[in-house]
Amino acid sequence: MNDKVVTFERARRRPDPARVQEFAETARRLQRERQESVDVVTRALRETPREEWPRLATRPELRNSGALNRLEAEVSSRLEKEPREALLLSDLAASIAETLPPDSYPPVTLAQLRAHAWKDRAQALAYIGRYAEALEALDRAEGQLAFGSLAHDRAIVRYVRALTLQKVNRFEESRELLGECAQVFRDFGDDNRYLFCGIAAGIQLYRERAFREAYDTFVPLIEVARDLGDHLSEARIQNNLGYCAVELGEFSMANIHLSQAMARFVDAGMRMEAIRTERASGRLFLGKGATADGLQRLREARRSFLMHGMVEEAGLCGLDIVEVLVEQAPKAARSLAMEIATEFSNAGFNDRALDALAYLRESIEQHRASATIVRHVQSYIAALSTNPALEFVAL
Amino acid sequence: MVTTGSAPDFDERQFEALYHEHFGFLVAVAIHKFRVPESDAETLAHEVFLSYLKDPQHVRDLNKWLLGAICHASRYYWRVHNRQSSDTELQIERIDPSTINILESLPNQIAAREALECLSPRYQEILRLRFFEGLSVPELAARLGVKKKYAAKLLAKCLRRAETLYERKGRRRLRRR
Repeated sequence: MNDKVVTFERARRRPDPARVQEFAETARRLQRERQESVDVVTRALRETPREEWPRLATRPELRNSGALNRLEAEVSSRLEKEPREALLLSDLAASIAETLPPDSYPPVTLAQLRAHAWKDRAQALAYIGRYAEALEALDRAEGQLAFGSLAHDRAIVRYVRALTLQKVNRFEESRELLGECAQVFRDFGDDNRYLFCGIAAGIQLYRERAFREAYDTFVPLIEVARDLGDHLSEARIQNNLGYCAVELGEFSMANIHLSQAMARFVDAGMRMEAIRTERASGRLFLGKGATADGLQRLREARRSFLMHGMVEEAGLCGLDIVEVLVEQAPKAARSLAMEIATEFSNAGFNDRALDALAYLRESIEQHRASATIVRHVQSYIAALSTNPALEFVAL
Repeated sequence: MVTTGSAPDFDERQFEALYHEHFGFLVAVAIHKFRVPESDAETLAHEVFLSYLKDPQHVRDLNKWLLGAICHASRYYWRVHNRQSSDTELQIERIDPSTINILESLPNQIAAREALECLSPRYQEILRLRFFEGLSVPELAARLGVKKKYAAKLLAKCLRRAETLYERKGRRRLRRR
């Protein structure tokens, strides 16, 4: 068995000078192309109308690894807000990558460039719900990666596949892939992606209502996020742990996790996210019958929203409280509804919102108000932000 | 030294230094840990270096990254070459790339091999297909002619059995000491 031990002497081996040269030349070239492409891509996209982006594939200055890397970043930054633009850009990248001459880069490098372009296209397709096409694009991506050295790239592609499979309810396959990818990322010391795999696996378990398993999946990830100094991920993990604990009826544990989540959101500079977490957790506690904890969190969230001048969110949060009070303490409910109306009026809100609140107040006074009426008024007010002309219809 | 941490912008000499510094070790791992033939091992190491260039800024620990890459590349090599040999069990245990000093893990590897030998041929075959040939659970199910769920259960059973034997071996070893 001693022959398995890699000794220092055995590690002294001289590489083929031609290969060293190929590596150094490729490294230098990729580095140069990366540096040169930042402005080139940004300018080309800015100066070209969106519908003409596909034609950029023939521009010589965009037909290189640096431009493809830059496009990858552009796709990634648009996925959430502009998925259709992301798709256009990923089409452009795939088109460039597929038409690069076979001898333009070493085969391994070319395979990576093509695979990542197809992976980006898959992500963009998945964001707009075209899952079957996304899975086909992932087949194309994986088909490129026929090199042993590309295990990390394969895991990146398979991670995207796992997320896509979740969308089409193929949970078992997704779970299997996430486990495999997590192991590969760990082997490569890629703790960021290892963390994302764990979070995705935990969220899937939560959706499948396997709350204990989800909780146990999230717990060890806190340490990983801390080691990475990734406050945002740590906040999300603590938030998810809080939700799991609520579902498991472990309210004191949930309180600890949710408080941690809010603190980490603040550390990550996302104060608003912290307040929204407080409101969401308050609603969750109420849903589980933990009224005192729920009301306390909602009152705290409402106070914070007002402190930051977020009158609409404070009002909606206030209506969460009114919903609880309306049958138990109608006087307090009426008084809070009036307070919200005053805040809306002072902030110059849409009169329709004030009319809806007046309707709610009258309903309380006439003892015919119910949680259903409060929810109706609340969802109407929330809808006004996207449709200000929406008419209020009394129940 | 260019061995640790992330690798942002290099000059040309640093590229070469990086290659020279790690090449021998990567080839040695492929040859001695995975029994990859020498010339193929050198090609694998070269491909590992090239693949590292795609995103060097995001590599936090270069040593770990390279070791992970050569281990996976070597396993992939054997999957592609579909090696059918009697020393399957040598490959079946998962190599932890963070454990560069293989001597430390050697007793565990021996125990794992002994545990594997005690398993029934069917269990050995299932573990071989899953961990050596790298079949996914659906592929394993197809190969065994059973449903996916059953294949997953069977696999878990094999692992539990191997784990029990592994622990038993460990206890016996301790008693002998």
